[in-house]
Amino acid sequence: MNSERNLTFQDLVQLVELIKSSAGFSEFHLRMGDVELDLRRHAQGDHPPGGMNGANGAHGLNGAAAPAPAESARQPAPAPVSAPAGALPQPGETLGKTPDDDSPAGWPPDARVVKSPMVGTFYRASEPNAAPFVEAGAMVEADTTVCIIEVMKLMNSIAAGAAGVVTHILVEDGAPVEFGQPIIVIAPRAGQGQA
Amino acid sequence: MNSRAGSAADAAVDAKRFKRVLVANRGEIAVRIIRACRDLGIETVQVYSDADRDSLPVRLADRAVCIGPARSGESYLNARFIVSAALVHGADAIHPGYGFLSENAGFAALCEQEGVTFIGPSARVISLMGDKAMARRMADEAGVPTTPGSRGTVASAAEARAIAVELGYPVLLKAAAGGGGRGMRVVREPAELDLQFGDAAREAKAAFGDGSIYVEKFLSRVRHIEIQILSDGETVLHLGERDCSAQRRNQKLLEESPSPALGEALRAEIGAAAVRLCRHVGYRSAGTIECILDPETQRFHFMEMNTRVQVEHPVTECVTGIDIVKEQIRVAQGEALGIAQRDIEVRGHSIECRINAEDPARNFAPCPGTVHGFHAPGGPGVRVDSHLFSGYRIPPYYDSLLAKLIVWGRSRDEAIARMRRALGEMRVEGVTTTIPFHLSLLDDPHFVRGEIHTRFVEERLLETR
Repeated sequence: MNSERNLTFQDLVQLVELIKSSAGFSEFHLRMGDVELDLRRHAQGDHPPGGMNGANGAHGLNGAAAPAPAESARQPAPAPVSAPAGALPQPGETLGKTPDDDSPAGWPPDARVVKSPMVGTFYRASEPNAAPFVEAGAMVEADTTVCIIEVMKLMNSIAAGAAGVVTHILVEDGAPVEFGQPIIVIAPRAGQGQA
Repeated sequence: MNSRAGSAADAAVDAKRFKRVLVANRGEIAVRIIRACRDLGIETVQVYSDADRDSLPVRLADRAVCIGPARSGESYLNARFIVSAALVHGADAIHPGYGFLSENAGFAALCEQEGVTFIGPSARVISLMGDKAMARRMADEAGVPTTPGSRGTVASAAEARAIAVELGYPVLLKAAAGGGGRGMRVVREPAELDLQFGDAAREAKAAFGDGSIYVEKFLSRVRHIEIQILSDGETVLHLGERDCSAQRRNQKLLEESPSPALGEALRAEIGAAAVRLCRHVGYRSAGTIECILDPETQRFHFMEMNTRVQVEHPVTECVTGIDIVKEQIRVAQGEALGIAQRDIEVRGHSIECRINAEDPARNFAPCPGTVHGFHAPGGPGVRVDSHLFSGYRIPPYYDSLLAKLIVWGRSRDEAIARMRRALGEMRVEGVTTTIPFHLSLLDDPHFVRGEIHTRFVEERLLETR
């Protein structure tokens, strides 16, 4: 048992910081000698992450490492997350992804996700040089237009559907969207949208 | 063969070639189209509904786009969403497969209007031949015999009744926009007519959005013969016939080519008539002329034309060696067929069995579920067109076709023996299929002698089981 020499507490903090600062990671596995490390990001923060799954004991690292990713998940990410953006699904990717699998890290726990009701092109503004309908941080009412989906030159205004604050705009202006694709995230105003 | 890596001279020719084709269908035919595109070096965009997210064509295509929920009216039947997906993803052309929007003239027109090539005949020809009553008139004009019946659609049950009296019962009510037996009713006596007319019209309205009905004399003890057509607009070829007499409630179960009931002279005559009709309407693409044949009198009557690829096209491919879907795409991008009628030779015999997720013991009730294990048969002369894989969940929203098992043999007997062998090898675990039904059909002495008619399965095979 020489795992302490291989993986120090400082190493672990650095790893956690690295994963916290990168939107692209949702899971992280590491095995060094007898120690197995398993970090997982939970968007809702409702389940404690796996943390240390050291088969032969985690040597007191458990408490330090485990809560960190969960905490980071509750903080809104600073920039719009463009993970499921307009990029075309590649054959392999399409399979694992479902439109309901839409609560990545950084979204408010009670987020209301505006999904594209149709296949088409996503526009943030009414015309090329106009101001966007909404920016991240904007207050919206349920009937506020948040974007347009163009289907064959027909412009379909999409409403927020819930009052609150826009936290994320997931798709770039002019990008193709498909049916059911999450496009905008809204944190409902207090007392609204709570189950 | 890489058409994109040519010289400058090639590039001028290539300008017309499709770079990317959108597949506006699902299931085995979507897989079939993707394969043809890949053989031609064309990229594919597969559109799909929520229910088909985990499907084989979605996995196989170069790109996949979700266009709507499970309900086909909001996905596979939504012309605007499909054309929009083609425009957004830079597809030059749309292949509609069969069913769904494949014979919808409005969809073809929308494609034409938006500058996307519809892989099929023009919207004008689809509306001409897609309207079954109009198609009968075209056949009359081209000198192709039709079954006695109404000159066009009938406006009411009363009008249908008047024509039925002239024709003599039984009569057949058919949906002008129809196909696949939907909106079709056999009326045996006057008392049934009003009720059946209402049912047929409602069914047609629900299935095709058009409840127009026409009336034909119902002929029994006939065979269903259809002629495969391939046309580039200049050259019109027929690729021989398929015999689809093994049906249940007008749903084809097993098809073969050539027909055991057709002599050489009649084969040439039907083929020539089919070519004449296609020339008359200016047909361009793959298509099928459906006829009924009275084996006693050796007379045939035009029934309808399908302006699309058929489910059973592989049997013709097996006996002619011509890839129909590939030719259909080539013609759509402006290429000439490059072969003449004399180049077409029908060799040997081919049979297709439709393997459906249906329970023959429970009146062919659909059996959606999860396919826990799938083993496709193989070996000489065996082809399987299917979208199945182990773990596939058959959605309950669409048709129950799981696989088409196609065999080729030098003779009909050899083809039957191969089909028995292949059916015995095939495993679809977790759902009930029509495999046992096909085995019993192949064992029937009437079938083996080639002596069946379109009511045979219902009257003989299913009654005596």
